Amino acid sequence: MSLHVKAVNIRKNILKIAHSSKGPHSGTALSCVDILAVLYFKILKIASFSDANRDIFIMSKGHGAMALYATFFEKGYLEEKAFLSYYQNGGALPAHLDKETCEAIEVSSGSLGHGLPQALGFAYAKKLKNLSSHVYVLMGDGETQEGSVWEAAMLAPKMGLDNLTILIDRNNLQGYGRPSDLVSFESLDAKFQSFNWDVHRVNGHDLEALEMALKAPQNKPKAIICDTIKGKGVSFMEDEMKWHYFIVIDAFLEQGVRELEASL
Amino acid sequence: MRNSAAKKIFEYCQNHEDGFLISGDAGFGVWEAFQEQLPKQYINTGINEAAMTGLAAGLALSGHKVFIYNIIPFLIMRNYEQVRIDIAYQNLPVVLVGIGSGLTYAPSGMTHYSVEDIALARTLPNMNIISPSDPMQVQKAMEYAIASSNPTFIRISRSGEPVLFDDSIDITKPLHVKEGKTKAIIFHGSIVDEVLEASKALDDVAIISMPLIFPFDEAAVEALLRQYEHVYVVEEHFQEGGLGTMLRDFAQEKSLHVRIEKIAIKNHFIHEIGNCAYLRKCFGIDAKAIVERVLHG
Repeated sequence: MSLHVKAVNIRKNILKIAHSSKGPHSGTALSCVDILAVLYFKILKIASFSDANRDIFIMSKGHGAMALYATFFEKGYLEEKAFLSYYQNGGALPAHLDKETCEAIEVSSGSLGHGLPQALGFAYAKKLKNLSSHVYVLMGDGETQEGSVWEAAMLAPKMGLDNLTILIDRNNLQGYGRPSDLVSFESLDAKFQSFNWDVHRVNGHDLEALEMALKAPQNKPKAIICDTIKGKGVSFMEDEMKWHYFIVIDAFLEQGVRELEASL
Repeated sequence: MRNSAAKKIFEYCQNHEDGFLISGDAGFGVWEAFQEQLPKQYINTGINEAAMTGLAAGLALSGHKVFIYNIIPFLIMRNYEQVRIDIAYQNLPVVLVGIGSGLTYAPSGMTHYSVEDIALARTLPNMNIISPSDPMQVQKAMEYAIASSNPTFIRISRSGEPVLFDDSIDITKPLHVKEGKTKAIIFHGSIVDEVLEASKALDDVAIISMPLIFPFDEAAVEALLRQYEHVYVVEEHFQEGGLGTMLRDFAQEKSLHVRIEKIAIKNHFIHEIGNCAYLRKCFGIDAKAIVERVLHG
Protein backbone atom coordinates (compact mmCIF):
# COMPACT_ATOMS: atom_id res chain seq x y z
CA MET A 1 0.00 0.00 0.00
CA SER A 2 1.44 3.36 -0.98
CA LEU A 3 2.04 6.04 1.62
CA HIS A 4 -0.54 8.23 -0.09
CA VAL A 5 -3.16 5.54 0.40
CA LYS A 6 -2.20 5.25 4.05
CA ALA A 7 -2.52 9.01 4.45
CA VAL A 8 -5.98 8.89 2.88
CA ASN A 9 -6.98 6.06 5.24
CA ILE A 10 -5.75 8.09 8.20
CA ARG A 11 -7.77 11.09 7.05
CA LYS A 12 -10.89 8.99 6.56
CA ASN A 13 -10.51 7.54 10.02
CA ILE A 14 -10.07 10.99 11.52
CA LEU A 15 -13.39 11.99 9.97
CA LYS A 16 -14.94 8.79 11.29
CA ILE A 17 -14.03 9.43 14.93
CA ALA A 18 -14.64 13.18 14.60
CA HIS A 19 -18.14 12.22 13.48
CA SER A 20 -18.77 9.62 16.19
CA SER A 21 -17.34 11.83 18.92
CA LYS A 22 -19.04 15.05 17.80
CA GLY A 23 -15.82 16.64 18.99
CA PRO A 24 -13.64 19.50 17.68
CA HIS A 25 -10.14 19.73 16.12
CA SER A 26 -10.83 18.06 12.77
CA GLY A 27 -8.93 20.79 10.92
CA THR A 28 -5.82 20.56 13.07
CA ALA A 29 -5.78 16.77 12.79
CA LEU A 30 -6.07 16.77 9.00
CA SER A 31 -3.32 19.36 8.77
CA CYS A 32 -0.57 17.08 10.10
CA VAL A 33 -1.55 13.71 8.62
CA ASP A 34 1.15 13.65 5.94
CA ILE A 35 3.83 14.51 8.47
CA LEU A 36 2.70 11.68 10.74
CA ALA A 37 2.42 9.23 7.86
CA VAL A 38 6.00 9.90 6.74
CA LEU A 39 7.27 9.68 10.32
CA TYR A 40 5.54 6.44 11.26
CA PHE A 41 5.88 4.64 7.93
CA LYS A 42 9.24 5.91 6.65
CA ILE A 43 11.33 7.32 9.46
CA LEU A 44 10.74 6.10 13.01
CA LYS A 45 12.63 2.98 14.05
CA ILE A 46 10.74 1.39 16.89
CA ALA A 47 11.55 -2.26 17.59
CA SER A 48 9.41 -2.09 20.71
CA PHE A 49 8.28 0.55 23.13
CA SER A 50 10.51 -0.92 25.82
CA ASP A 51 13.62 -0.62 23.66
CA ALA A 52 15.76 2.23 25.03
CA ASN A 53 17.21 2.70 21.55
CA ARG A 54 13.86 3.32 19.85
CA ASP A 55 13.21 6.60 18.11
CA ILE A 56 11.01 8.88 20.18
CA PHE A 57 8.13 10.86 18.72
CA ILE A 58 6.45 13.55 20.81
CA MET A 59 3.11 14.93 19.65
CA SER A 60 3.43 18.33 21.27
CA LYS A 61 0.30 19.67 19.58
CA GLY A 62 -1.84 17.44 21.76
CA HIS A 63 -5.10 18.74 20.34
CA GLY A 64 -4.16 16.95 17.11
CA ALA A 65 -4.71 13.70 19.01
CA MET A 66 -7.15 12.28 16.45
CA ALA A 67 -4.43 12.34 13.81
CA LEU A 68 -2.05 10.43 16.05
CA TYR A 69 -4.70 7.88 17.03
CA ALA A 70 -5.66 7.33 13.39
CA THR A 71 -1.97 6.91 12.50
CA PHE A 72 -1.54 4.43 15.37
CA PHE A 73 -4.59 2.54 14.13
CA GLU A 74 -3.16 2.41 10.62
CA LYS A 75 0.19 1.28 12.03
CA GLY A 76 -1.39 -1.36 14.28
CA TYR A 77 -0.51 0.29 17.59
CA LEU A 78 -4.20 0.65 18.46
CA GLU A 79 -6.99 -1.89 18.27
CA GLU A 80 -10.15 -0.87 16.44
CA LYS A 81 -12.31 -1.08 19.56
CA ALA A 82 -10.05 1.34 21.45
CA PHE A 83 -9.75 3.62 18.43
CA LEU A 84 -13.50 3.86 17.96
CA SER A 85 -14.04 4.59 21.65
CA TYR A 86 -12.28 7.94 21.24
CA TYR A 87 -13.97 10.70 23.27
CA GLN A 88 -16.77 8.41 24.43
CA ASN A 89 -17.87 8.10 28.05
CA GLY A 90 -15.73 5.36 29.56
CA GLY A 91 -13.69 5.21 26.34
CA ALA A 92 -10.01 4.40 25.93
CA LEU A 93 -8.75 7.63 24.34
CA PRO A 94 -9.15 11.23 25.48
CA ALA A 95 -9.25 14.38 23.37
CA HIS A 96 -5.70 15.29 24.38
CA LEU A 97 -2.93 12.78 24.84
CA ASP A 98 -2.56 10.80 28.06
CA LYS A 99 0.41 8.46 27.90
CA GLU A 100 -1.30 6.00 30.22
CA THR A 101 -3.90 5.20 27.57
CA CYS A 102 -1.56 3.69 24.95
CA GLU A 103 2.07 2.57 25.12
CA ALA A 104 2.85 4.26 21.82
CA ILE A 105 2.21 7.67 23.37
CA GLU A 106 5.59 8.78 24.69
CA VAL A 107 4.47 12.00 26.38
CA SER A 108 1.14 13.31 27.68
CA SER A 109 0.27 16.60 26.03
CA GLY A 110 -2.49 19.08 25.44
CA SER A 111 -1.06 22.19 27.02
CA LEU A 112 1.19 23.72 24.37
CA GLY A 113 4.93 24.24 24.57
CA HIS A 114 5.63 21.15 26.67
CA GLY A 115 6.96 18.84 23.97
CA LEU A 116 10.23 20.46 23.02
CA PRO A 117 11.65 20.86 26.55
CA GLN A 118 10.90 17.19 27.23
CA ALA A 119 12.43 16.22 23.91
CA LEU A 120 15.67 17.79 25.08
CA GLY A 121 15.64 15.39 28.02
CA PHE A 122 15.00 12.37 25.78
CA ALA A 123 17.70 13.43 23.32
CA TYR A 124 20.24 14.16 26.04
CA ALA A 125 19.55 10.80 27.68
CA LYS A 126 20.37 9.15 24.33
CA LYS A 127 23.64 11.08 24.18
CA LEU A 128 24.54 10.00 27.71
CA LYS A 129 23.94 6.36 26.80
CA ASN A 130 25.59 6.64 23.36
CA LEU A 131 22.38 5.53 21.67
CA SER A 132 22.07 6.20 17.97
CA SER A 133 18.31 6.77 17.93
CA HIS A 134 16.59 10.08 17.30
CA VAL A 135 13.94 12.28 18.90
CA TYR A 136 11.19 13.99 16.86
CA VAL A 137 8.66 16.57 17.98
CA LEU A 138 5.61 17.85 16.13
CA MET A 139 4.43 21.30 17.15
CA GLY A 140 1.71 23.59 15.95
CA ASP A 141 2.62 26.98 14.54
CA GLY A 142 0.48 28.75 17.12
CA GLU A 143 2.39 26.75 19.69
CA THR A 144 5.56 28.64 18.82
CA GLN A 145 4.05 31.59 20.69
CA GLU A 146 4.81 29.77 23.94
CA GLY A 147 7.92 31.06 25.71
CA SER A 148 8.97 27.56 26.71
CA VAL A 149 9.58 26.75 23.03
CA TRP A 150 12.22 29.46 22.85
CA GLU A 151 13.75 28.57 26.20
CA ALA A 152 14.33 25.10 24.85
CA ALA A 153 15.31 26.34 21.38
CA MET A 154 18.09 28.39 22.96
CA LEU A 155 19.29 25.48 25.05
CA ALA A 156 19.24 22.59 22.55
CA PRO A 157 22.18 23.59 20.30
CA LYS A 158 24.36 24.23 23.35
CA MET A 159 23.60 20.70 24.52
CA GLY A 160 24.87 19.29 21.23
CA LEU A 161 21.56 17.68 20.31
CA ASP A 162 22.13 16.67 16.70
CA ASN A 163 19.70 13.80 17.40
CA LEU A 164 16.72 16.13 17.74
CA THR A 165 14.31 17.21 15.01
CA ILE A 166 11.22 19.34 15.36
CA LEU A 167 8.51 19.70 12.76
CA ILE A 168 6.26 22.74 12.79
CA ASP A 169 2.83 22.30 11.29
CA ARG A 170 2.65 25.75 9.77
CA ASN A 171 -0.94 26.11 8.62
CA ASN A 172 -1.18 29.73 9.78
CA LEU A 173 -4.44 29.17 11.64
CA GLN A 174 -4.89 28.82 15.34
CA GLY A 175 -7.80 28.77 17.78
CA TYR A 176 -9.00 32.28 17.18
CA GLY A 177 -6.98 33.90 14.44
CA ARG A 178 -4.02 33.64 12.12
CA PRO A 179 -0.60 33.60 13.82
CA SER A 180 0.64 36.03 11.17
CA ASP A 181 -2.06 38.50 12.26
CA LEU A 182 -1.44 38.08 15.98
CA VAL A 183 2.31 38.03 16.50
CA SER A 184 5.58 38.65 14.75
CA PHE A 185 5.35 35.26 13.09
CA GLU A 186 7.74 35.43 10.18
CA SER A 187 10.21 34.41 9.57
CA LEU A 188 10.11 31.26 11.68
CA ASP A 189 13.00 29.96 9.57
CA ALA A 190 15.23 32.89 10.44
CA LYS A 191 14.27 32.70 14.10
CA PHE A 192 15.43 29.12 14.40
CA GLN A 193 18.51 29.80 12.27
CA SER A 194 19.48 32.61 14.61
CA PHE A 195 19.18 30.17 17.52
CA ASN A 196 21.77 28.00 15.71
CA TRP A 197 19.39 25.35 14.41
CA ASP A 198 19.57 23.60 11.08
CA VAL A 199 16.43 24.76 9.25
CA HIS A 200 14.45 23.26 6.38
CA ARG A 201 11.23 24.55 4.88
CA VAL A 202 9.03 22.15 2.95
CA ASN A 203 5.53 21.63 1.65
CA GLY A 204 4.05 19.70 4.57
CA HIS A 205 1.80 17.69 2.26
CA ASP A 206 4.60 16.58 -0.07
CA LEU A 207 5.47 13.12 1.23
CA GLU A 208 8.79 12.91 -0.62
CA ALA A 209 9.90 16.39 0.40
CA LEU A 210 9.11 15.63 4.03
CA GLU A 211 11.05 12.40 3.90
CA MET A 212 14.04 14.11 2.29
CA ALA A 213 14.10 16.88 4.88
CA LEU A 214 13.83 14.37 7.70
CA LYS A 215 16.65 12.26 6.26
CA ALA A 216 18.96 15.19 5.49
CA PRO A 217 22.15 14.92 7.54
CA GLN A 218 22.40 17.23 10.53
CA ASN A 219 25.10 18.22 12.97
CA LYS A 220 22.86 20.31 15.18
CA PRO A 221 19.18 20.35 16.14
CA LYS A 222 16.95 20.48 13.09
CA ALA A 223 13.74 22.43 12.58
CA ILE A 224 11.52 21.57 9.63
CA ILE A 225 8.93 24.23 8.94
CA CYS A 226 6.13 22.40 7.14
CA ASP A 227 3.79 24.61 5.13
CA THR A 228 0.43 22.99 5.52
CA ILE A 229 -3.27 23.62 5.07
CA LYS A 230 -5.55 23.24 8.03
CA GLY A 231 -8.27 20.76 7.13
CA LYS A 232 -6.19 19.41 4.22
CA GLY A 233 -7.96 16.92 1.98
CA VAL A 234 -11.55 17.97 2.64
CA SER A 235 -12.46 20.96 0.48
CA PHE A 236 -14.91 22.66 2.81
CA MET A 237 -12.57 22.37 5.78
CA GLU A 238 -9.42 23.66 4.11
CA ASP A 239 -7.97 26.85 5.61
CA GLU A 240 -11.13 27.51 7.62
CA MET A 241 -10.73 28.49 11.26
CA LYS A 242 -14.19 27.21 12.15
CA TRP A 243 -12.94 23.66 11.61
CA HIS A 244 -10.97 24.04 14.80
CA TYR A 245 -14.41 23.69 16.42
CA PHE A 246 -17.11 22.46 14.05
CA ILE A 247 -18.67 19.05 14.41
CA VAL A 248 -18.62 16.50 11.61
CA ILE A 249 -22.31 15.75 11.02
CA ASP A 250 -23.52 12.92 8.75
CA ALA A 251 -23.49 14.97 5.54
CA PHE A 252 -19.98 16.29 6.21
CA LEU A 253 -18.68 12.81 6.86
CA GLU A 254 -20.21 11.52 3.65
CA GLN A 255 -18.86 14.33 1.50
CA GLY A 256 -15.44 14.26 3.18
CA VAL A 257 -14.99 10.55 2.66
CA ARG A 258 -16.16 10.87 -0.96
CA GLU A 259 -13.58 13.58 -1.66
CA LEU A 260 -10.79 11.65 0.02
CA GLU A 261 -11.58 8.49 -1.94
CA ALA A 262 -11.69 10.50 -5.15
CA SER A 263 -8.12 11.63 -4.46
CA LEU A 264 -6.83 8.07 -4.71
CA MET B 1 20.73 22.21 55.28
CA ARG B 2 21.50 22.57 51.58
CA ASN B 3 24.90 20.96 52.09
CA SER B 4 23.17 17.95 53.56
CA ALA B 5 20.96 17.74 50.45
CA ALA B 6 23.93 18.27 48.15
CA LYS B 7 25.87 15.50 49.86
CA LYS B 8 23.07 12.98 49.37
CA ILE B 9 22.59 13.96 45.74
CA PHE B 10 26.30 13.65 45.08
CA GLU B 11 26.47 10.26 46.79
CA TYR B 12 23.52 8.98 44.80
CA CYS B 13 24.91 10.19 41.48
CA GLN B 14 28.38 8.88 42.25
CA ASN B 15 26.97 5.40 42.88
CA HIS B 16 24.25 5.38 40.22
CA GLU B 17 24.87 6.19 36.58
CA ASP B 18 21.20 7.07 36.19
CA GLY B 19 21.50 9.95 38.68
CA PHE B 20 21.30 13.41 37.14
CA LEU B 21 21.37 16.89 38.63
CA ILE B 22 19.82 19.97 37.05
CA SER B 23 20.49 23.40 38.44
CA GLY B 24 18.28 26.26 37.30
CA ASP B 25 21.25 28.60 37.59
CA ALA B 26 21.44 28.25 41.36
CA GLY B 27 23.90 26.72 43.81
CA PHE B 28 26.94 28.97 44.01
CA GLY B 29 29.33 27.30 46.46
CA VAL B 30 27.30 24.08 46.43
CA TRP B 31 27.86 22.29 43.13
CA GLU B 32 31.45 23.09 42.16
CA ALA B 33 32.84 19.71 43.26
CA PHE B 34 29.89 17.90 41.68
CA GLN B 35 30.54 19.59 38.34
CA GLU B 36 34.18 18.71 38.48
CA GLN B 37 33.76 15.09 39.48
CA LEU B 38 30.51 14.14 37.72
CA PRO B 39 30.37 16.46 34.71
CA LYS B 40 28.24 14.09 32.63
CA GLN B 41 25.54 13.99 35.28
CA TYR B 42 25.11 17.74 35.67
CA ILE B 43 23.66 20.59 33.71
CA ASN B 44 22.95 24.20 34.55
CA THR B 45 20.16 24.92 32.06
CA GLY B 46 20.27 28.66 32.73
CA ILE B 47 17.31 30.85 33.59
CA ASN B 48 14.50 28.96 31.91
CA GLU B 49 12.26 27.18 34.39
CA ALA B 50 9.90 25.66 31.82
CA ALA B 51 12.75 24.16 29.81
CA MET B 52 14.51 23.08 33.00
CA THR B 53 11.43 21.14 34.12
CA GLY B 54 10.65 19.61 30.74
CA LEU B 55 14.26 18.52 30.39
CA ALA B 56 14.00 16.81 33.78
CA ALA B 57 10.83 15.01 32.67
CA GLY B 58 12.42 13.85 29.40
CA LEU B 59 15.42 12.48 31.26
CA ALA B 60 13.17 10.80 33.82
CA LEU B 61 11.07 9.25 31.03
CA SER B 62 14.35 7.86 29.68
CA GLY B 63 15.10 6.17 33.01
CA HIS B 64 17.14 8.77 34.88
CA LYS B 65 16.68 9.68 38.54
CA VAL B 66 16.63 13.44 38.24
CA PHE B 67 17.20 16.05 40.94
CA ILE B 68 16.33 19.67 40.23
CA TYR B 69 17.85 22.32 42.45
CA ASN B 70 16.56 25.87 42.53
CA ILE B 71 15.10 28.60 44.68
CA ILE B 72 11.55 27.51 45.51
CA PRO B 73 9.61 30.15 43.53
CA PHE B 74 11.61 29.14 40.45
CA LEU B 75 11.22 25.45 41.18
CA ILE B 76 7.46 25.04 41.44
CA MET B 77 5.77 28.42 41.05
CA ARG B 78 7.09 29.97 37.85
CA ASN B 79 6.90 26.53 36.20
CA TYR B 80 3.89 25.19 38.06
CA GLU B 81 2.27 23.89 34.91
CA GLN B 82 5.40 22.04 33.80
CA VAL B 83 5.60 20.43 37.23
CA ARG B 84 1.89 19.62 37.03
CA ILE B 85 1.88 18.10 33.55
CA ASP B 86 5.40 16.96 32.75
CA ILE B 87 6.35 15.60 36.17
CA ALA B 88 3.26 14.98 38.30
CA TYR B 89 0.66 13.97 35.67
CA GLN B 90 3.20 11.62 34.13
CA ASN B 91 4.11 10.48 37.67
CA LEU B 92 7.88 10.72 37.29
CA PRO B 93 10.10 10.20 40.35
CA VAL B 94 11.82 13.56 39.97
CA VAL B 95 13.15 15.15 43.16
CA LEU B 96 12.55 18.90 43.40
CA VAL B 97 14.97 20.33 45.92
CA GLY B 98 13.92 23.87 46.81
CA ILE B 99 15.90 26.42 48.74
CA GLY B 100 14.58 29.38 50.71
CA SER B 101 11.49 27.98 52.44
CA GLY B 102 9.25 30.49 54.18
CA LEU B 103 10.85 33.85 54.77
CA THR B 104 14.42 32.61 54.88
CA TYR B 105 15.39 34.72 51.86
CA ALA B 106 14.31 37.91 53.65
CA PRO B 107 14.75 40.75 52.97
CA SER B 108 14.76 39.70 49.31
CA GLY B 109 11.06 40.45 48.89
CA MET B 110 7.90 38.60 47.90
CA THR B 111 9.35 37.30 44.61
CA HIS B 112 11.82 35.20 46.59
CA TYR B 113 9.65 34.03 49.50
CA SER B 114 8.02 30.62 49.69
CA VAL B 115 4.98 31.05 51.84
CA GLU B 116 2.41 29.37 49.60
CA ASP B 117 4.48 26.53 48.17
CA ILE B 118 2.88 23.78 50.26
CA ALA B 119 -0.59 24.93 49.21
CA LEU B 120 0.55 24.76 45.60
CA ALA B 121 2.30 21.40 45.92
CA ARG B 122 -0.77 19.89 47.59
CA THR B 123 -2.74 20.44 44.40
CA LEU B 124 -0.56 17.76 42.81
CA PRO B 125 -2.14 14.53 44.05
CA ASN B 126 0.97 12.34 43.88
CA MET B 127 3.59 14.84 45.06
CA ASN B 128 5.44 13.95 48.25
CA ILE B 129 6.03 17.12 50.28
CA ILE B 130 8.78 17.25 52.87
CA SER B 131 9.67 20.26 55.01
CA PRO B 132 12.73 19.30 57.08
CA SER B 133 14.00 21.28 60.04
CA ASP B 134 17.62 20.21 60.35
CA PRO B 135 20.38 18.58 58.29
CA MET B 136 19.46 15.11 59.57
CA GLN B 137 15.86 15.54 58.45
CA VAL B 138 17.14 16.74 55.09
CA GLN B 139 19.20 13.58 54.79
CA LYS B 140 16.17 11.44 55.65
CA ALA B 141 14.05 13.45 53.24
CA MET B 142 16.52 12.75 50.43
CA GLU B 143 16.49 9.05 51.25
CA TYR B 144 12.68 9.05 51.19
CA ALA B 145 12.66 10.87 47.83
CA ILE B 146 15.26 8.57 46.30
CA ALA B 147 13.27 5.49 47.30
CA SER B 148 9.92 6.88 46.14
CA SER B 149 8.47 6.16 42.72
CA ASN B 150 6.49 9.40 42.92
CA PRO B 151 7.72 12.97 42.54
CA THR B 152 8.97 14.68 45.69
CA PHE B 153 9.19 18.33 46.68
CA ILE B 154 11.66 19.07 49.47
CA ARG B 155 11.59 22.62 50.82
CA ILE B 156 14.62 23.63 52.80
CA SER B 157 15.70 26.89 54.35
CA ARG B 158 18.31 29.16 52.92
CA SER B 159 21.22 28.39 55.20
CA GLY B 160 22.67 25.91 57.69
CA GLU B 161 20.89 25.03 60.89
CA PRO B 162 22.20 23.03 63.86
CA VAL B 163 21.68 19.28 63.90
CA LEU B 164 18.75 18.59 66.21
CA PHE B 165 17.76 15.02 65.40
CA ASP B 166 19.74 11.81 65.40
CA ASP B 167 20.07 9.16 62.76
CA SER B 168 17.35 6.96 64.27
CA ILE B 169 14.43 9.24 63.32
CA ASP B 170 11.63 8.08 61.04
CA ILE B 171 10.45 11.18 59.20
CA THR B 172 7.27 9.48 58.04
CA LYS B 173 5.89 9.86 61.57
CA PRO B 174 5.38 12.90 63.81
CA LEU B 175 8.46 13.22 66.02
CA HIS B 176 8.12 14.21 69.67
CA VAL B 177 10.85 16.65 70.59
CA LYS B 178 9.23 17.10 74.00
CA GLU B 179 6.24 15.47 75.69
CA GLY B 180 3.32 17.53 77.03
CA LYS B 181 -0.02 17.31 78.80
CA THR B 182 -3.04 18.73 77.02
CA LYS B 183 -1.45 21.12 74.55
CA ALA B 184 0.90 20.40 71.66
CA ILE B 185 2.77 22.39 69.03
CA ILE B 186 3.22 20.74 65.65
CA PHE B 187 5.76 22.41 63.38
CA HIS B 188 7.79 21.81 60.25
CA GLY B 189 10.60 23.47 58.36
CA SER B 190 12.65 26.51 59.15
CA ILE B 191 10.47 27.87 61.97
CA VAL B 192 12.12 25.26 64.22
CA ASP B 193 14.36 27.83 65.95
CA GLU B 194 11.40 29.97 67.02
CA VAL B 195 9.49 26.91 68.23
CA LEU B 196 12.40 25.61 70.28
CA GLU B 197 12.94 29.04 71.80
CA ALA B 198 9.23 29.24 72.64
CA SER B 199 9.25 25.77 74.17
CA LYS B 200 11.52 27.02 76.95
CA ALA B 201 8.57 29.01 78.28
CA LEU B 202 6.02 26.27 77.64
CA ASP B 203 6.75 23.55 80.17
CA ASP B 204 3.72 21.33 79.74
CA VAL B 205 3.35 21.78 75.99
CA ALA B 206 4.40 18.95 73.69
CA ILE B 207 6.70 19.90 70.81
CA ILE B 208 6.26 17.78 67.71
CA SER B 209 8.15 17.93 64.45
CA MET B 210 6.28 16.81 61.34
CA PRO B 211 8.63 16.96 58.36
CA LEU B 212 6.61 14.74 56.05
CA ILE B 213 3.68 16.95 55.10
CA PHE B 214 2.32 14.56 52.52
CA PRO B 215 1.60 11.70 52.57
CA PHE B 216 1.60 11.69 56.36
CA ASP B 217 1.09 8.59 58.46
CA GLU B 218 -2.65 8.84 59.10
CA ALA B 219 -2.75 6.40 62.02
CA ALA B 220 0.12 8.13 63.82
CA VAL B 221 -1.36 11.59 63.23
CA GLU B 222 -4.81 10.47 64.34
CA ALA B 223 -3.32 9.07 67.54
CA LEU B 224 -1.56 12.36 68.10
CA LEU B 225 -4.70 14.40 67.56
CA ARG B 226 -6.55 12.15 70.01
CA GLN B 227 -3.77 12.52 72.57
CA TYR B 228 -4.01 16.33 72.88
CA GLU B 229 -6.95 18.65 73.42
CA HIS B 230 -5.37 21.68 71.88
CA VAL B 231 -2.93 21.62 68.97
CA TYR B 232 -1.09 24.64 67.58
CA VAL B 233 0.31 24.22 64.09
CA VAL B 234 3.27 26.56 63.67
CA GLU B 235 4.54 27.07 60.15
CA GLU B 236 6.43 29.63 58.12
CA HIS B 237 3.76 29.49 55.46
CA PHE B 238 0.41 31.10 54.70
CA GLN B 239 -2.39 30.20 57.11
CA GLU B 240 -4.56 28.89 54.32
CA GLY B 241 -3.28 25.86 52.49
CA GLY B 242 -0.48 24.71 54.78
CA LEU B 243 -0.17 21.87 57.27
CA GLY B 244 -2.65 23.58 59.61
CA THR B 245 -5.32 23.44 56.92
CA MET B 246 -4.51 19.82 56.18
CA LEU B 247 -4.68 18.78 59.82
CA ARG B 248 -7.97 20.60 60.37
CA ASP B 249 -9.46 18.84 57.35
CA PHE B 250 -8.11 15.54 58.60
CA ALA B 251 -9.50 16.05 62.11
CA GLN B 252 -12.91 16.89 60.69
CA GLU B 253 -12.86 13.88 58.40
CA LYS B 254 -12.06 11.64 61.37
CA SER B 255 -14.59 13.44 63.63
CA LEU B 256 -11.88 14.29 66.16
CA HIS B 257 -12.68 16.85 68.82
CA VAL B 258 -9.24 18.36 69.09
CA ARG B 259 -9.04 22.14 68.70
CA ILE B 260 -6.48 23.08 66.04
CA GLU B 261 -5.06 26.60 65.94
CA LYS B 262 -2.85 27.91 63.16
CA ILE B 263 0.15 30.03 64.01
CA ALA B 264 1.15 31.02 60.52
CA ILE B 265 1.38 33.98 58.16
CA LYS B 266 -1.92 35.58 57.28
CA ASN B 267 -2.30 35.23 53.51
CA HIS B 268 -1.09 38.48 52.00
CA PHE B 269 1.51 39.81 49.60
CA ILE B 270 4.43 40.80 51.75
CA HIS B 271 5.41 44.45 51.34
CA GLU B 272 6.93 44.68 54.82
CA ILE B 273 10.72 45.02 54.71
CA GLY B 274 13.17 43.38 57.05
CA ASN B 275 15.19 40.29 57.82
CA CYS B 276 13.68 36.92 58.65
CA ALA B 277 13.56 37.53 62.43
CA TYR B 278 11.95 40.91 61.89
CA LEU B 279 9.30 39.59 59.51
CA ARG B 280 8.47 36.65 61.78
CA LYS B 281 7.83 39.16 64.54
CA CYS B 282 5.67 41.28 62.21
CA PHE B 283 3.60 38.26 61.27
CA GLY B 284 3.21 36.80 64.76
CA ILE B 285 5.21 33.63 64.23
CA ASP B 286 8.27 34.45 66.35
CA ALA B 287 9.00 32.70 69.67
CA LYS B 288 7.36 35.39 71.76
CA ALA B 289 4.16 35.34 69.73
CA ILE B 290 4.07 31.55 69.82
CA VAL B 291 4.32 31.57 73.64
CA GLU B 292 1.60 34.20 73.86
CA ARG B 293 -0.78 32.28 71.61
CA VAL B 294 -0.20 28.93 73.28
CA LEU B 295 -0.58 30.31 76.82
CA HIS B 296 -3.49 32.65 76.19
CA GLY B 297 -4.87 31.93 72.72
